[in-house]
This record gives sequence, structure tokens and C-alpha cells, in this order.
Amino acid sequence: MNNNKFTSPEDLNRLRERLVKQREEGRIIITVCAGTGCLACGCEAVTAAFREALKENQLEDKVEIRTTGCHGFCERGPLVVLRPEGTFYQRVKPADAKLIVEQTIKHGKLVNKLLYRDPQTKEVIVKEDDIPFYSKQMRLIFGMNGHMDPTSINDYIALGGYQALAKALLTMTPEQVIDEVKKSGLRGRGGGGYHAGKKWASCRRAKGEPKYVICNADEGDPGAFMDRSLLEGNPHGVIEGMVIGAFAIGSHDGYVYVRNEYPLAVKNLNIAVDAAREHGFLGDNIFGSSFNFDIDVSRGGGAFVCGESTALMASLEGKIGEPRAKYVHTVDAGLWDKPSNLNNVETWANVPLIIEKGADWYSRIGTASSKGTKVFALTGKINNTGLVEVPMGITLREIIFDIGGGPPKGKKFKAVQTGGPSGGTLVVETREPKVHESLVAHGDIRDEEEVVSLLDLPVDFDELTKVGSMMGSGGMIVMDQDSCMVDVAKYFLNFLQEESCGKCTPCREGLRITLEILTRISEGKGQMEDLDTLEEISQVMIDTCLCQLGGSAPNPVLSTIRYFRQEYLAHIVEKRCPAGVCKELVSHAIDETCTGCHVCFSVCPTNAIIGQTKTLHVIDQDACIQCGACYQLCRFDSIKRVKRGEGDAIQYVAKEKWHPPVKKKAAAVA
Amino acid sequence: MSLPVEAQDELEQIITSIVDRYKAKPTALIMALQDIQKYYHYLPIEALKLIAKKMNLPVAQLFGVATFFKAFSLTPKGKHHMCVCTGTACHVRQAGVIVDNLSRSLGINPGETTPDGEISFETVNCIGACALGPVITVDDEYHGHMTVAKLNKVLDDLRGKKTAEEMVEEVQ
Amino acid sequence: MEKVSITIDGKPIEVEEGSYVLQAAEELGIKIPTLCYYEHMTPYAACRICSVEARDGKGWTKIVTACNYPAWDGLQIFTDTPRVITARKVNLEMLMSHCAPAPVLQELADELGVKEPRWGIGTDTCIMCGLCVRICDEVVGAHALTFSSRGIDREVSTPFKLESEDCILCGACARYCPTGHIRMTDTNGRILHSELTLGPNTAISIPFRQAIPNAPRIDPDYCIHMATGGCKLCSKVCPKECINYEDKDEFEELEIGAIIIATGFQDFDPTPMQQFGYGKYPNVLSSIEFEQMNNAASPTDGKILMENGEEPRSIAILHCIGSRDEDHHKYCSRVCCMYALKFAHLVKEKTNAEVYQLYIDMRTFGKGYEEFYQRILTEGVNVIRGKGGEIVPAPPEYSSEGNLLVRCEDTLIGKFREIPVDMVILCTALEARGDAEDIARKFNISTGADGWFIEAHPKLAPVSTTTEGVFLAGVCQGPKDIPDTVAQGTAAAAHSIRLLNMGEVLMDAAYAEIVEEFCSGCRICNGLCPYNAITFDEEKKVSEINSALCKACGTCVAACPTGAIKARHFTDDQIYAQIEGILA
Repeated sequence: MNNNKFTSPEDLNRLRERLVKQREEGRIIITVCAGTGCLACGCEAVTAAFREALKENQLEDKVEIRTTGCHGFCERGPLVVLRPEGTFYQRVKPADAKLIVEQTIKHGKLVNKLLYRDPQTKEVIVKEDDIPFYSKQMRLIFGMNGHMDPTSINDYIALGGYQALAKALLTMTPEQVIDEVKKSGLRGRGGGGYHAGKKWASCRRAKGEPKYVICNADEGDPGAFMDRSLLEGNPHGVIEGMVIGAFAIGSHDGYVYVRNEYPLAVKNLNIAVDAAREHGFLGDNIFGSSFNFDIDVSRGGGAFVCGESTALMASLEGKIGEPRAKYVHTVDAGLWDKPSNLNNVETWANVPLIIEKGADWYSRIGTASSKGTKVFALTGKINNTGLVEVPMGITLREIIFDIGGGPPKGKKFKAVQTGGPSGGTLVVETREPKVHESLVAHGDIRDEEEVVSLLDLPVDFDELTKVGSMMGSGGMIVMDQDSCMVDVAKYFLNFLQEESCGKCTPCREGLRITLEILTRISEGKGQMEDLDTLEEISQVMIDTCLCQLGGSAPNPVLSTIRYFRQEYLAHIVEKRCPAGVCKELVSHAIDETCTGCHVCFSVCPTNAIIGQTKTLHVIDQDACIQCGACYQLCRFDSIKRVKRGEGDAIQYVAKEKWHPPVKKKAAAVA
Repeated sequence: MSLPVEAQDELEQIITSIVDRYKAKPTALIMALQDIQKYYHYLPIEALKLIAKKMNLPVAQLFGVATFFKAFSLTPKGKHHMCVCTGTACHVRQAGVIVDNLSRSLGINPGETTPDGEISFETVNCIGACALGPVITVDDEYHGHMTVAKLNKVLDDLRGKKTAEEMVEEVQ
Repeated sequence: MEKVSITIDGKPIEVEEGSYVLQAAEELGIKIPTLCYYEHMTPYAACRICSVEARDGKGWTKIVTACNYPAWDGLQIFTDTPRVITARKVNLEMLMSHCAPAPVLQELADELGVKEPRWGIGTDTCIMCGLCVRICDEVVGAHALTFSSRGIDREVSTPFKLESEDCILCGACARYCPTGHIRMTDTNGRILHSELTLGPNTAISIPFRQAIPNAPRIDPDYCIHMATGGCKLCSKVCPKECINYEDKDEFEELEIGAIIIATGFQDFDPTPMQQFGYGKYPNVLSSIEFEQMNNAASPTDGKILMENGEEPRSIAILHCIGSRDEDHHKYCSRVCCMYALKFAHLVKEKTNAEVYQLYIDMRTFGKGYEEFYQRILTEGVNVIRGKGGEIVPAPPEYSSEGNLLVRCEDTLIGKFREIPVDMVILCTALEARGDAEDIARKFNISTGADGWFIEAHPKLAPVSTTTEGVFLAGVCQGPKDIPDTVAQGTAAAAHSIRLLNMGEVLMDAAYAEIVEEFCSGCRICNGLCPYNAITFDEEKKVSEINSALCKACGTCVAACPTGAIKARHFTDDQIYAQIEGILA
């Protein structure tokens, strides 16, 4: 067909009905997740193996393979779901493809070793929807990902795509669209939490032509990848949201500023934009409504600061991505000094939903001040790493323990960091039992109740801000007992320092000085005054930094000092790193649990490990450079990180207590 | 530094095609630079000057942009490109140990290239494969759940691959 | 724009809505410190030193930067709350930890009471105010500078850190750099004294002090606007809107009755005389530079200072630089001895420095001159008979007396001397202007071997030239001092007035004439006339002779191929008649 353009919603409906019918023909569909996480695990080879296996069994016309966007459960990738039953296979290897085809598809038998087993209850779960990771979520905008091929516009249309656009364009006025979004209570998902409807309204009111609509997909937060997964898995949802927004605002030019580090997102987005243009969802006279709008995809240069709206616009203009000093909002003077409305990927993805299902429906989800769902990237020391979409107001406990499955290897949960580098580290649950006497005098024991209550904190924009963090774009990094809070603060400050554009004094110099002080503390050279200095600098940075990036940069320092003051004091007063992370304060030592497996020996770069197979190994304290290679490798937790200088004492005791490992055979005989 | 004539011609051709592709719009400047970087693995000075001329932008602006964004390099990169993710998720899973060890094994700091021009190594803030952390990429191939032992193997493979190729070349 | 009322530190003021707080504060006389602000550019708000506290009176409060915070009705600004002071202090301390040596930071530190910056003292000289980059981009429009890298690695740089091809050498970046991080240097490493004595060159100036009209003009060769189309700062600051960039040089044709040439001289450039180290040592000045430094409006406010801003301990004044010199000009420049003595007098008056005069012969020939010389001697000026031979940096053992060493021969005592001084003034020769030859050709007068214009007769017609109605005045005719110049000028004026008053020129009876009917318009005669008396009439296509200029030499008469030119009283017929008369 030469002209694929839809000129009326009827055309769209007809196609949709036909597609739905096709999909319901009772074919079995193998969906293979092809998000970046699963791609990294080798899902492409799995897909190829499936194709091969189907060919061998001559099932090609009965079974369809669909490579989809990210399902969210990255920890278990590559993921394979057989629809319509919803049988869920995890960590599928190419070799397993044949097995699945022959057993499940041909004979309806399950492949046990690939099924999900709940780590806590050990219960085997067959269906995707029954897995706690999924069942506790509310996957409004992520739900589609697992059901469609992101490169196929037909899949999107079959799932009801572009219906909202037709509704907005043909049955609503721009003011009605804005009112609907206002009524829904949708707030910007990029971090600030500004009401999207209000922003649109002021952009519509702003004087100046042309107006621009921009989608911020410069997801620079380390540990956040939901925007990428959305663009990879459901680019049309974002495009549809942008067109509706542009219609409401009165804009005809749109930009998507996407990180170049996301090649798949760029690729899928470009395919989607071309397809949308071809079908008449972009371009002139959309749906015959005489409304014109088109989107340019612009690849960003990779700078965290470009997530800041004015910096992003400067970068779009082909300039250095430094924020502009403006107390005038970008809705009045943004890109090329014209009114510009910038929202992030997730915000745009919410728009079609609101228009289609109505503001009343949407505003029933969430809390009083924060509506709808939020996607979090749950990462760090957690069993179920992945993307989770939950309604606002869910507690941290539910996210971390019920969905995330808590920290791995039974380690104790310590803290969770939200809001990206400029967010805060929250929630203490374990506390270092040993508190130095001098610290007690310092009045640093916190109220246990406050500590516990934070885990039950309902997660929404305002609650997180209240406790010294922020929603940010939704990164949620879990830390366990092995994470040192000084090190975490140092890490974020180092990140921010590298990413600071360097324009304003407090951010450029303040971060450098803060980092110097933190480094000093982590090396055991800190002073008690340092904490006050850190707080003073932080306050000045909050007060005087030019952009939000700098203004929120002290958050990691302030929140870790607020919740983990005793850990700072341990570094400063006792010269000890309780988590054993700060290199300058730890010694590595091998205790009596050593099995003499000799693995650590080969990995030591300085040959500091002495020992032979089946004998107790010892670390030469003078030669050890605390690189941690052996610690990472030891499967028996025999390598300990202790206070600097105490290594030999541990090893001396170990020598006393150590026995050669008893041979299994001998034990059986005994 | 000036390029030989053939290289100059090639550069001219490449840049003309890139600038034409983006219709010389300033919004596409960063993309144009990315394309050049992709082709040459760095941004030659001549290329920047030529782009400036074709897009009618000041050279100073291009230099500013090229040094501002980490993705660009004004010096040539190595044949193989290793990237250690130091995103938060990887950091709490000890990516620092990987960086230190790689740095020591290669004898260079992040952002540098080995003297033989074989391997470039840098750190990157999150490549979005947090579930695999700590993760490294070698020539865009992901290696997840890295440990020092695995890292050594990766390095051996990389070097081994190199020698194998060379052997083939020698035979031929 | 609507007017809104705001208060700053409790003082109310009405300003335009959206105008910046800093300007309002300025109007109220409240000082807010700034580092990166320049009134003619978009506020950059990078230094954050101008932080103030904004309140709405209902509990909302925020630290904002005064340079770019727009005024709105009911805004209350506080410039001295503890929060503001801490913000400024900490920011300053942070800046100092990066670049302490900048005097502008030291001043600010004194103002804010920062005694010892807590985070150490940095060594950089750039405070990242971005004035240079922005002035180059926004005002000059040359785009030769940029910020490179980011974060703590950020720095001001030319593209690729090489010499920028876009730089127009306007010097705006160096002029506005508050710390001296950017400097203008001569590519040959020469020291540019004009910076020291005159301040930076500007494209707008009054051509010379007594110019008529006494109005500034734009020099298109130096004007940034003419080069890049940017800048226009002058039109922004001119309250009367007098700046006209469209104005062009115009050529006008005037009918005049007399011409006085008074083109003056040029200063001898002592750079080639390497033994004197001019352009190499910063404190070796030419006499005109020293004169300019003494002007009350000079960058030193008329004080005699060395390049480092200190007063010199001793000064040597070297006579006859380029004059009375076989290698340069053999003549005596006539004025140097007297101004050198004046310099000595000025130095003695303004400083405690020791003065040495090194001369060949002291020529104090005018009225009262010798008496002035005697007076200088009583003021304690050291007068040494002997030309300065060489200037070198003083070895360390002389450091208590001077940084330079003048080597010379004292011919009165017959000894070589080495005199340590801090400053040297070279009394450079007066020389004919480089374009004197062109002028001479234009007016059909001649120059001597030294380039000075030659008068009609050295004794009897010292003001006139060989061209009727063209007179000489001043140094263009030869070195002379002010009284002589005035005298000659007056004489030239008198000559001119005589001509003008007569209204007509009394001509010799003998002059050449062209008979138009015979003239072929070949123009051979035009170029031959030694007095430029023949011009070509484009309309009639014939040549014409200005009979007032014609000296009846007869060259044209002889050359005319058609015989159209006749010398009055010497026509062929008359000459034949005379010959006949003689032979008869």
C-alpha cells in the first residue's frame, strides 16, 4: 500500500480489529525479552536457537517468536514467556531452546530447571503473573513491553495504541486536554515532580512562536534505566504522549534528546518515528485534524548535567551543555529562547493512558499529592534487580523486600539510595553494634523508632523530599551491610564532580573541597570539625548553586551524615571502616575457615598470599595492597576485612585454630 | 599536524556526507561529532575545523563541545575498547576493585590508551545493565558479574585474539 | 514594562518589572560585590558572589543572585543577612582555594573579612568568571575563545589550545580579565609601552589634543564593530546617541587660495639600536612615552612609575638617540637637550630619584635656555658628557641601586663609567615623516636628503616653496622647537593672508597658453609641466594651462606636437622678429 496514512479514527479501528483477530488465532507465541539487560546476557543467541528449534520441528507457522522490550526482571535474564499461557522461563540458554520447543510447545510439559523458584519459600512458580516480583507491581505503562515487538507499529496498534491520540485530537480541545492532565495530578517523572498540566498550561499561555515540545531521554543517573527500557520497549507510547502534549500546547516541533549510550533505544525510537510518520501519526494534518507535528531525534553527548532542562536545551542548540542562569522558566524562554515544554520519557508515556482512561481513573491511583505509578530501577545489593512499576504510596519495605526479595546471600539490609547521585541515602536498619565510648558522649545514638519508620515510608514525591532525599528519575539502589556510607557519599560526590559543568563556583569548587574532605575521612585522616565544615559547605551549595544539579549535590553527604553519623565517627575517631570498604582503613586477613582451595593465590597481583593447596593460606600484610581481588573470589568467606593493622592478629588466631579440611570420603566412612 | 592528501580527501567526503545528512542544523552538531568519532574513533582537528566551516559555527564552539562531552576524544583511541561501568549499582558491587585491577594490569589510568595502541580503557557512569553488575564491555560486548579472575581471562582472551589474528596474518 | 515596587535592605524603590536587582541596588547606592558581572552583557551568574536573600514577606525566602534576579512587585531583598554573608564568604573561600593570587579576590576577602581561607590557597590565576569568553562571543563576536572540558578541569582556551584563527587581536579579553590571567603580548616578545603609558589603544579617540572639531572619531582599522559586526558598546553607553557607524571617510573638493604644509615629523624608532634594549627591557622608554606618562590623564595619573608600579630610584636620560649619528641621522634634532633638561626637572620635582644626563654637546641656544640649564645643575642633576653606549641588566651587586646598567664614556674625566639605574629615557631623534615624499610629489615641492621639505630660499624665503601659494610651517621643514614653529607658522599664515586678501594673483606677463582649436588632446604636455600647471578638460577634450602656476619655462611649448601651445611674449613670430632684429 502506497499510502499508509490514517486520516480518520475509523481507519485505525479497522486495522486494529484485524490485527487483534490475527493475534487471537490461537498461535503460540514465544516472547523473548530483548532489553539491554537480556541482550547482555545473550538473548539474541537464544532467539536464534528458538528459530532453529522451530525449524527442526516444523513448527514455524504455528509458533511465532516475538522479541520484545524489557520485561523488567533483568536479574533473571534472558527471559522467555510462552503466551497465551504465560509460562515463564528464566535464565534461558541457547541450548535450552530445543528443550522448551520439544517439551513445552510440543507436549505441554514444563521444563523444571528453567522455572522460577522463590528464593525464600522455595516454591516453584510457573506463570509470569504469579511471581511476586510481578504480582506486587502495577504495570500500567510497562505492561505493554512484554506483549509487543517495539519495532512493529502494528503490535502497538493492536494493543490499543494511538486511540488516545485520536480521542484527544478529534473530540477534545487543547484546553480540555490540559484540564484532563491537570485533573489527573500527573507530576513530572524526571525528578522535580512539577505538575505536568500546569507546565503545559503556562507553555500554552507563553508568548512566542514557535513552541517546542521536548522529551528528555538523557537518563544520566547511574542505576536508573527505566527511560531507556521504555524507549526500547514501547517507543510509540512516548511518541503518542508527545503528540498529545504538542496538540495541547500548540507546538509543531518536537525533539527527543536521547543518550547516545543507548544505541538500541535510539534505533527503536527512530524506527518508531518513521513508522508513525508513515502512518500519519506524525507530520501534517494528523488524523485529518489539520494539526501538524513532527519529532526530531537528537542524540546527546553524554553528560549528567544535560538532564537539567536548560543545559539540555543548550546542548540541543549545539553548545556546551551548561545550564543557563535564568529565573525565567523554560516554558517562557527555552530552546532558542522560545517557549519550550520539557518532560521526561516516563511522563510522556503516562499521557496516552490518562487521555484514554480518563483523569478520574488515573487519579484514583497513588497518594493525595502524587498520582499514578512510578517505575523504579531496583539495583544494588538486591536479589531481584530490575525495573518495577508500583503505585505511588507503596512503602519502601514492599518494594525492597516483597518485590525485590531483599539483599542476596542473606546479608543484612542497610540502606537504600533514591533519586540518583543527587538524591539521598535513606533508611537504617542494621546498626553497627560496636559503638565507641567517645561516640556515646557525642550524643549520636539515634532513636530506633525513627529508623524503623523510614522503611515503612510511603514512597511519593513529597515524603521522600521530607526525609532528605528525592524521587529523582527513580533509581533505587539497595545497600547491605558490606556498603560503607562514607564510601557511598564519596562515590556520589566523585561522580558529581566529574559531571559538574564547572560553571558556577559552589558546584565546581564546593564539590572538589567536599570530595577532598570525604577522601580524607575515608583515609582515616578526618577531624571532628570536618563534619561541621561538610554541613556548612553543603548548605552554601544548596543556597547558591546555579542549577538543581548543584543544589541537590550535597544530598548524599547530608543524608548519610544524618542517618549514618556513627559510621562517619567510626572513620574519624576510631580510624575504622565498619563495612571494610575504605582501603586505607582495612587489612585483609584469612581466618580459620580457609579450605586451602588455593583460588586466591593465583589472583593476587602482588603475590602477597602464601600457602599451598589444602593448607591454611596467609596474607603477607606488608605485601598486600588491599586490592580486594581475593576477597571477591573467596567462596568460603574466609578472607576478612578488618581494621588496618589487625590482620596479623586474626591470622595468628587462625593458625591456632585451623584444621586441614576433612575429606568427604573419610567423613562418610566415619 | 596535517593529514596526507588522500586522508584529507576522505575526510572531506565523510564530513560532507555527515553534514548533508543532518542538513547542517546546529541541533545536529553533537550527532555529527558522534558520527565522526565513530568513524575515526576520535575527532581529528581537521574534521572539527571542516565541520565548523560547513555548519557555519565558530571553531571555538566545536572545541568547547568536543571537550565538554566525555564521549568525544581529541586523541586517537586504541584498537580495542574496554569500558568498566562504575554506575551506582556496579559500585556497590565492587566495580572499584575491577577498575583498580584493570588499571594495574594494563599499566594505564582510565581514559588512556596502552602505549602499543592496542587497548583503550575508560570508566562509564552506568550502561544500564545493572543486573549484571559489576559489568564491563569489551568492544561493545558485555561481560557481567565481573571478578578479578574473570577479568584476567578476558584480558588474556583479548591479547590472545590479537596474537591469533597476527599469526593468521603472518601465515598469509 | 510595568513599574513594580521592591525593597532592598528596607529601602523602597520603583523599578521596571523584570529588571535585575543589582541595578536597583546600584541606584539605591547599596553595594553588592560581583566578579563575573559586566553591565553590557547578559548576566552569567557563575561566581555567585552577588548572592542576596529574596523574601516575599509571607515566609518564602531564597538565596538568589542579584545580577540576574528579576524584580517583581512586593519583592524584598536583603543584602546583609548572616545567610547571605556566609554564602558569599564560603564561595569566596572556595574560589581562593583554587586561585588565591588574584588581587580582586584579595580585595573581596578584605571586604568580607576572610582572613585565612580554610581550604588552602590555590595557584591558578583564572577565576572562571567567563568575562573573556563572553566578551569575545557576545560583544566582539569573534568567537575565538571557549570554555574547554568541564568541572574542575574547566578552563578558558582557544580552540585546540593553539593560536586562534578567529582572533582579531582586539584585546577585549585581556582588558576585561579581572585577574591578569589573559595578557596581550607582542609576538616578537617586544614590550608594548603604549599599554604602560597610554593605556590600551582604543578605536575611539580624539585624533590629537587640540583637534577641531574636538570630537572623538572611530578608527575603522581598530573598531571591533567594523571587523566583526558585533560590539557597539560605545552606542550603548553614549547617552546622546551620537554614535554613527555608517559614517564614512569622505573626499571633498575645496577651492582654496593658499596651502600651508605643516605635517610635522615622526619619532625615530630606537628598536634597531639593540644596544639600548628598547622593547627588550620594560623600563627603557622613549622620550614621547615618558612625556605621555607625565600627562595627568595617563594610566599612572601622571606619576613616574616603573612597569612594576614602583617609583624608580634613578633615571638616566640619553641624548642624541638617532641624531648626530653617522649611522642614522647626521643632523641635530635641536629640541632634545631642552626637553631632556625639562625631564630632569620633572623627575626631581615628582620623585626622589637620581638623574643622569648623558649628552654629546649641551645645546642651550635660545632665550633663557642657558639659565634653565644652570638651574638644573643646581637641582643636583648629574650631567655627564659622553654618549650612552649600551644598556644591560644590572648584575646582582648593583641591585640596591638599579636594575639596569648604563655603560658610557665620560669624556670630561676620560673614563668609562657604568651607571646603575632603574629607568632609561631615550631622547629619540626627530625625523621626517615616512610619507613626506608623497606629499612633496603632490605639491610639487622637494625634499632634502633627510626628507625635510626644502624651502624656496634658506635665507630670503624660508616659508615659501617652489610652488606658488604653497607654504611650509613647523618641523616638516626641519627640526625646530615650539617658538620657532610658531614663528614660522605665523609667517606662513601672513603669506597666505596676503594672497587671499588680494583676491587675485598678480601674474608675470610671460606664461604659456593653449590655442584650443589646435589642441589635439594628446596630453603630452600634462605630464611634462614641472609645475603641474596643465590639466585636461574632460568635457572639451583639450588641455588647459593654469596661468597662475605657469612659470613660462617653455617645456610644453616645445613639446606640443600640433604647436597649439604658445608662450606669451615668446611666440615664434616674436622670436623670429627678434632674430631678424639682431641680424639686421
